[in-house]
Amino acid sequence: MSRRLPKYFFNFVCLMVYIFLLAPIVVVLLSSLTTTEYIVFPPEGLTLRWYTELIEHPEFMQSFTLSIIVAFGTAIIATAIGTLASLAVVRRQFKGKTAIVQLVGSPLLIPSVVFGVALLQFYSWIGLAASPIALILGHIILTVPFVMRLVVASLVGFDRSIEQAALNLGAGPMKVFFQITLPIIKSGVIAGAIFAFITSFDDLTVALFIVSTDVVTLPVRIYTYMQYQYDPIITSVSSIMILFTVVLMLVIERVLGVGKVFSSKN
Amino acid sequence: MQAGIGTEHDLLIQQKKKNVNKKRLDTWLLLLPTLGIFIFFFLLPLFFLFITSFKSFDASTGVGNEWTLQNYIKFMSDPFYLGVVWRTVKIALLTTLITIAISYPVAFQISRSKGRARNYLTLLVLSPLLISMVIRCYGWVILLSNNGVVNNTLLKLGWIDQPLTLLYTELSVVIGMVHVLFPYMVLSIMGSLEKIDPSVIRASQNLGASSFRTFFSILLPLTLPGVFAGSVMVFSLSVSSFVTPAILGGPQVKVMSYLTYEQVAVMLNWPYGGAIGFLLILIATITIIAYSKILARSEKGVAIQ
Repeated sequence: MSRRLPKYFFNFVCLMVYIFLLAPIVVVLLSSLTTTEYIVFPPEGLTLRWYTELIEHPEFMQSFTLSIIVAFGTAIIATAIGTLASLAVVRRQFKGKTAIVQLVGSPLLIPSVVFGVALLQFYSWIGLAASPIALILGHIILTVPFVMRLVVASLVGFDRSIEQAALNLGAGPMKVFFQITLPIIKSGVIAGAIFAFITSFDDLTVALFIVSTDVVTLPVRIYTYMQYQYDPIITSVSSIMILFTVVLMLVIERVLGVGKVFSSKN
Repeated sequence: MQAGIGTEHDLLIQQKKKNVNKKRLDTWLLLLPTLGIFIFFFLLPLFFLFITSFKSFDASTGVGNEWTLQNYIKFMSDPFYLGVVWRTVKIALLTTLITIAISYPVAFQISRSKGRARNYLTLLVLSPLLISMVIRCYGWVILLSNNGVVNNTLLKLGWIDQPLTLLYTELSVVIGMVHVLFPYMVLSIMGSLEKIDPSVIRASQNLGASSFRTFFSILLPLTLPGVFAGSVMVFSLSVSSFVTPAILGGPQVKVMSYLTYEQVAVMLNWPYGGAIGFLLILIATITIIAYSKILARSEKGVAIQ
């Protein structure tokens, strides 16, 4: 009995932590169903009114589309250039390698507020106005470190004799890359792309500085909306975003297996 | 014959040299896109902001042309701003300590579970990472506001007479920050827990040690590198984080990142905002260096044992 007691206590502590983790998410989902004009939890009554009300706020839909475009663009470019750079870093010896690795990893250490401020100043000097391209360029800096970490991890321990064999059999370097190398490091590359997509889709800090009145990403839209209003519209938008992420994860799980994606992270 | 071998040899050497040159070119071609974007859209902007942080500023005319150290001096000689630095560090420290305390049992539970349960628990722990930070913080606003869930529950239970001020306090910022950074700590501790040979724990138990003793003399020392590594990550992310303090603290609980934002976006004082930003980078860098020194020492300690 006395041996059991710590175990029950331990499990109880873990349970409390899991509740803590899920609480804010559950609260957002459920409060979007309230019939009241203000946000309340537990919701009073059940209605989908706040979802239909979204139709009268097309700006949320516009922001959602913009966020998707930016996140998609970021994921594709960051993964492509990050994979190429990873190949150079893992397989080639050259001067200044450490410096380059440190440079590419440093956005993780630089507070993104400072980067956002710096980028805004730079953009206004070179005359690059708020646009999906301007946002994508900023997000590439934030996400390439993740991509490279994941791709480098999947390149270490790669058996190069397979590539050598293909080359000896007369395949061109391009063919070797797309038919041999890429399929083998696939899980690292895809995990990198997913990370890049999510990071870009979620970014508030850098986007907050770059956006203009008609180019506003969804996190910025939600942030500015809730500074002035406190109605359940915001919870319905948030719930749609949560459901979108869940669906995305389910698709990835079906195609790849979540375990694989996360295991390649270590 | 011999001459023939010689030329063949020379040819081979030439070929090799060509290959090396070609490889060198390839290497830079592979690096070029990433390097180009990083130089133009990361290094240059930061460099220009650094220069701006040494410029004078006037509220009516904007950024001046004179060079000055005034922005840095102003920040470091004003008790209000030093208070903000202290608050930033305090919040990060509290966040790190609480995160360690609640991550450890969860990491332990996951590392001991197997199969399906393990997958689900890992997914549960990582799932907040995938949900927008803005939304998660917003969930905490609903939970912690004056007529929010926490206050309502406490009022109904009769534990308090009037709502507690929870939102827009240092407490709410710490809670939000722990929630956001928790997964990083769990992953880090799990990594070092999994390296421990289970027979070590069994041996300790067979020799009659209580689970308490096993934890403090075996498990904890062996996982310290993981705890430290997680702490570096959580501390530096929390010192520089903006979203959580902006939503859950706002102007009432100003931290350095919020101050930077405010100076630039509201006051339009670029030089001062830049100076605060670079001091923030300095604090984050110092902690990372200090931590990694401790980390290196603790790893040595473990190796000796």
